[in-house]
Amino acid sequence: MSDQQTITIEVDGKKLEATPGQMLIEVTDAAGITVPRFCYHKKLSVAANCRMCLVEVENAPKPLPACATPVADGMKAWTCSPLARQAQKGTMEFLLINHPLDCPICDQGGECELQDVAMGFGGGLSRFVEGKRAVKSEDIGPLIATDMTRCIHCTRCVRFGDEIAGVREMGATGRGEHMKIGVYVEHAVASELSGNIIDLCPVGALTSKPFRYQARAWELTTHDSIAAHDGVGSNIHVHVRNHQVMRVVPKDNEAVNETWLSDRDRFSYQALYSEDRLEKPLMRKNGGLAPVEWQEALLEAATVLKGADADRLGALASPSATLEELHLLRRLLAGLGSNNMDTRLGQGDFRSADPAVPWLGQKFAEVENNQAVLLIGSWLRKDQPLLNHRVRKAALAGGKVMAINPLDYDFNFTLDSKVVCAPSAMAQALAGVAAALGADTCGLPAEAVSQQKAMAANLKNAEQGLVLLGSVAQSHPDFCLLRRLAANIAEAAGVSLGFVGDGANSTGAAMLAARAETGLSVEGMLEQGLDACLLLNVEPEYDSAHPQAMNALLGKAKVVALVTHLSPWLEAQADIVLPIAAFLETAGSLVNIQGDIQSFNGTARPVGEARPAWKVLRVLGNLADIEGFDYESVTDVLDEVMKVLTDVHPDNQMPQADAPEARLADSDLQRIGGTPLYHTDMLVRRAQALQHTPDAWKACLLVNPELAQALGLEDGDSVVLRQDSGELTLPLGVDERVPGNCVWMPTGVPGSELLGKGFGAVSLEKA
Amino acid sequence: MDFLIGIYEWLPVWIQSILRIVVIMAPLMVLVAYYTYAERKIIGYMQIRLGPNRVGPKGWLQPIADAFKLMFKEIVLPTHADKTLFLIAPLLSIGPALAAWAVFPFDTGLVLSNINAGLLYLLAMTSIGVYGVIIAGWASNSKYAFLGAIRSAAQIVSYEIAMGFALVGVLVAAGSLNLGQIVEGQSGGFWHWYWLPLLPLFVIYFISGVAETNRSPFDVAEGESEIVAGFHVDYSGMAFAVFFLAEYANMILISALTALMFLGGWLSPFQGTFMESWFAWVPGIVWLVAKTFVFMFLFLWFRATFPRYRYDQIMRLGWKVFIPITIVWIIVAGAMQVYDIGPWYQ
Amino acid sequence: MKTVIHYIRSLFLLELFKGMSVTGRYLFRKKFTLNYPEEKAPVSPRFRGLHAQRRYPNGEERCIACKLCEAVCPANAITIEAAPREDGSRRTTRYDIDLFKCIFCGFCEESCPVDAIVETRLYEYHFEDTDKAAGNYIMTKEKLLAMGDKYEAQLAEDRAAQAKYR
Repeated sequence: MSDQQTITIEVDGKKLEATPGQMLIEVTDAAGITVPRFCYHKKLSVAANCRMCLVEVENAPKPLPACATPVADGMKAWTCSPLARQAQKGTMEFLLINHPLDCPICDQGGECELQDVAMGFGGGLSRFVEGKRAVKSEDIGPLIATDMTRCIHCTRCVRFGDEIAGVREMGATGRGEHMKIGVYVEHAVASELSGNIIDLCPVGALTSKPFRYQARAWELTTHDSIAAHDGVGSNIHVHVRNHQVMRVVPKDNEAVNETWLSDRDRFSYQALYSEDRLEKPLMRKNGGLAPVEWQEALLEAATVLKGADADRLGALASPSATLEELHLLRRLLAGLGSNNMDTRLGQGDFRSADPAVPWLGQKFAEVENNQAVLLIGSWLRKDQPLLNHRVRKAALAGGKVMAINPLDYDFNFTLDSKVVCAPSAMAQALAGVAAALGADTCGLPAEAVSQQKAMAANLKNAEQGLVLLGSVAQSHPDFCLLRRLAANIAEAAGVSLGFVGDGANSTGAAMLAARAETGLSVEGMLEQGLDACLLLNVEPEYDSAHPQAMNALLGKAKVVALVTHLSPWLEAQADIVLPIAAFLETAGSLVNIQGDIQSFNGTARPVGEARPAWKVLRVLGNLADIEGFDYESVTDVLDEVMKVLTDVHPDNQMPQADAPEARLADSDLQRIGGTPLYHTDMLVRRAQALQHTPDAWKACLLVNPELAQALGLEDGDSVVLRQDSGELTLPLGVDERVPGNCVWMPTGVPGSELLGKGFGAVSLEKA
Repeated sequence: MDFLIGIYEWLPVWIQSILRIVVIMAPLMVLVAYYTYAERKIIGYMQIRLGPNRVGPKGWLQPIADAFKLMFKEIVLPTHADKTLFLIAPLLSIGPALAAWAVFPFDTGLVLSNINAGLLYLLAMTSIGVYGVIIAGWASNSKYAFLGAIRSAAQIVSYEIAMGFALVGVLVAAGSLNLGQIVEGQSGGFWHWYWLPLLPLFVIYFISGVAETNRSPFDVAEGESEIVAGFHVDYSGMAFAVFFLAEYANMILISALTALMFLGGWLSPFQGTFMESWFAWVPGIVWLVAKTFVFMFLFLWFRATFPRYRYDQIMRLGWKVFIPITIVWIIVAGAMQVYDIGPWYQ
Repeated sequence: MKTVIHYIRSLFLLELFKGMSVTGRYLFRKKFTLNYPEEKAPVSPRFRGLHAQRRYPNGEERCIACKLCEAVCPANAITIEAAPREDGSRRTTRYDIDLFKCIFCGFCEESCPVDAIVETRLYEYHFEDTDKAAGNYIMTKEKLLAMGDKYEAQLAEDRAAQAKYR
């Protein structure tokens, strides 16, 4: 910055340093000088249409808007001179002319920028006696409630849609008195970041629908926490009333989530209070699960775990479980003589060793500067919305983003090039890129077509680039092969290799695993079978990459489940179910995919008799007579974890020469799996509002129109999908995004538990 | 009437004594009961309110209701109290208050026991009452009760002296310890009563009497604002009622004694004036009762008027004001007696 | 000289007699006491008695769950929970006034933008059971609305009489 020249301006008699090109309001904000504003937002473009930030500038004939006045050397401005004050007061009066006086029923009341600014800068009286206008509100989906009469046309939401979400869903129509902000198509706000316009709206025109009328700003206490649904680890403020989570809003952290928050992180809190939330420990008695006291359940759980043959004892944990929970779980198992623990439930292939600690390969901020990004098997926009936002910034800055996907996923930026092919052809497509770069193709016939050559050239020419393996790739049966090829490409092109992982703590889990004895992986446990299986916040039917095998495993084993919600499979197969606190109710630490360890405290009281999982595991450790299970607080556990993790860093290096054969055969009809964004974990699946968004999975089997025609099927026909020994009947949907000879039937959604792996040969016929 | 007197004389002496006691006690108890009613009513009036007016017409049955209430309440014995002393204390309190009446002459010759050392007996009886208070305070085994008892004891002992000196003045004037003769010594009309020559002693005697009975403004022994209720804080039901009775019986006694000693007892105020014959038919006891009522009213008037003294003020008043004045006035009275000054000492 | 006068004054108890003359005079004054159940003191239209919730003439409850009364209550006696009603309007699902906590300051009434929560002239009420579990000391929304319905005529008249001072 030293070469950048600084200039000096004077605001309210204070000398301030500024850089040329800055707007006046940026300088005053940095100096802590209050200038009222509505339309200006630091992350959005300058619109200068609210006129609230008018200030007096020397030699200017009229007051100027601070948000649109570039600074100049020696400039003198006054933010609260009589002229500025009069201008602000006048603007305020105009703004209030058409603003309804319905603060008592407005959810924004108490945290409203308009209220605050009117208090601070407005006049006490209105001279406007004519009738106010009213605007019809539109239904823009289950997340955002609208009251457009309150709108003051700051256009923050419109600019957010254009500039951040990348979807032009909202816009201003009409002029003057007839100007309205609205959506072009009813119900159309389907952005995975749409919730942010609630925060942006300075008035009560856009408010949170699930939170509607639930609480007042002054009743809420704010706690800081970390969102636990994706690898970004967004920082959040949790608003709690009466020991209950009322809503979640983003907390600024430029290094992680900037000022944004994905809808999944924002609205998933609803699931904490869903009807099937577990409130008491359950035990299998006379065939059914009956509520019991903690004492009894814990003693029985310890007996079950101690009684199992150590080789046939295993644990499966959610990749979103905290470091502390995973550490205690691993210690508990080790104390019982077993190392069979895994969190990689969604991974489709274990034939070769994983990288030491898979991570993004770059910091989030670096992602913005990539000149080329290759997405492999990733619907990044929906899987990791805020990471996608960084990639989008790179794309808008001229970076070339390419994708090799089994489905033509839509992105909110333009892909430079894309390969959409059947899952079985993905390895071949990658091998082509590898070949173009002269890298090892792992024995696959390597003939690059022009598109692959272009991709290779983009990567090769980029000063900084990223090859990113998404969650679809991770659940692919040839993940190890795809990974090897991706690594080869990255190496040959001199760019970074990255993994997005699944869950909020996949990197943390891998860090812990890197320091532990190697036991059976998920796949190993599924093949070998277990006598006793401990589940930590796992909903086996939806979290597993291979539901049928999981069903068989649980059917034979004694199952001890530590879960927040009871799922049908657990109800049928678990022997002991211990209710644990969900992520906003417990303390812990998560490692996001850029390797930050972020700790947080519990914010709300656990529902019913639920207890934090680390406490449950500690008591199980005590009951199993394992040494050193005398933790008094979660920080004791974290201290121990940090000792274990000394010198463990994210590391994508993996052993060379481990290229297994492609096992996904090219068949007549292939299933395309992957987990939709609102089905990624136990909580999200139960968040009512999210389940009603357009992004929620609509129960149908999607095929290409050509395939539908070839099979003689039509949109809406009821069809039977058969995979392995399972079958599923659903309506057919026709979608051009699906490649030929493929059916899009995701994992993690209702019905998917009847089928096998997310990818594989299936058959389809009319029901 | 003769028939009744005949029956009375035919009865054995001990029954006669009991009957005489009953004749004194019964009206006294009724008087105590209605004195409490009068207190509440009069103080109420002085505070511009009505006082009790719910039980019976104008609240006349209020004392009876109170008595019933107290009778049916449980007597709580504190766990760490000395049980025997705790129960004896109220009796020690009321016993002397009633026994004093034995030597009290209601009219010429109308006395239960006409003894020559009546005044000394009275002094003894009124002083013994303090044991009830001290024992109650000690037996309750509670700090408030104990503090109340200490205050009460110190206060009574202090004022006993002034009171005693005031009575010395009376006996100097009357030349007798017999109460009947003290009254007779005042005969000769309103101006011959001892109130005038012994005015300072009269005032001091009555004020000391107020202090002796722990009445407002000398009621620091109860001091509800600082020691809750003093010595009887742990008493309830009848045990409390007995203390209550003793206090009011003592007030009546002090009033009656003041009337006897300084206002000529049963003597008519019109003696020696032209109106004497007009009121000749009035029995002496009526004059006595009327004079007693005046002092009883004063007790209540004081309570309605004066705020409570601070403890050190009480002590200062007793020791540094009353005792010197009484000593001086005994000398004055003695001189008046020796040199036959004034119309009173012939 | 002053001390001498002071001594004489205190010796003759002049101030005490002055005090007694005051109480003596008051003995004969007209008494202020009202014989309560038979006689009652007049009640101001601003009287702050037991609470009520009013309705509009069309029967719609006035309360819109803005929670200002809950916020202003110095004794934290008011507990409100709100949710959208079926018709989408903002309504309370719970409106409790804890009468043990309430200090009858009337702030709730002052803060109410729609005159929903009001204090009636009623001061004669009791709880049949002070047991916490029985909850008789809680004015629930139902009880408040019933009170409002019962005394609406009086309430409306009092509010109208006071309108110009508010």
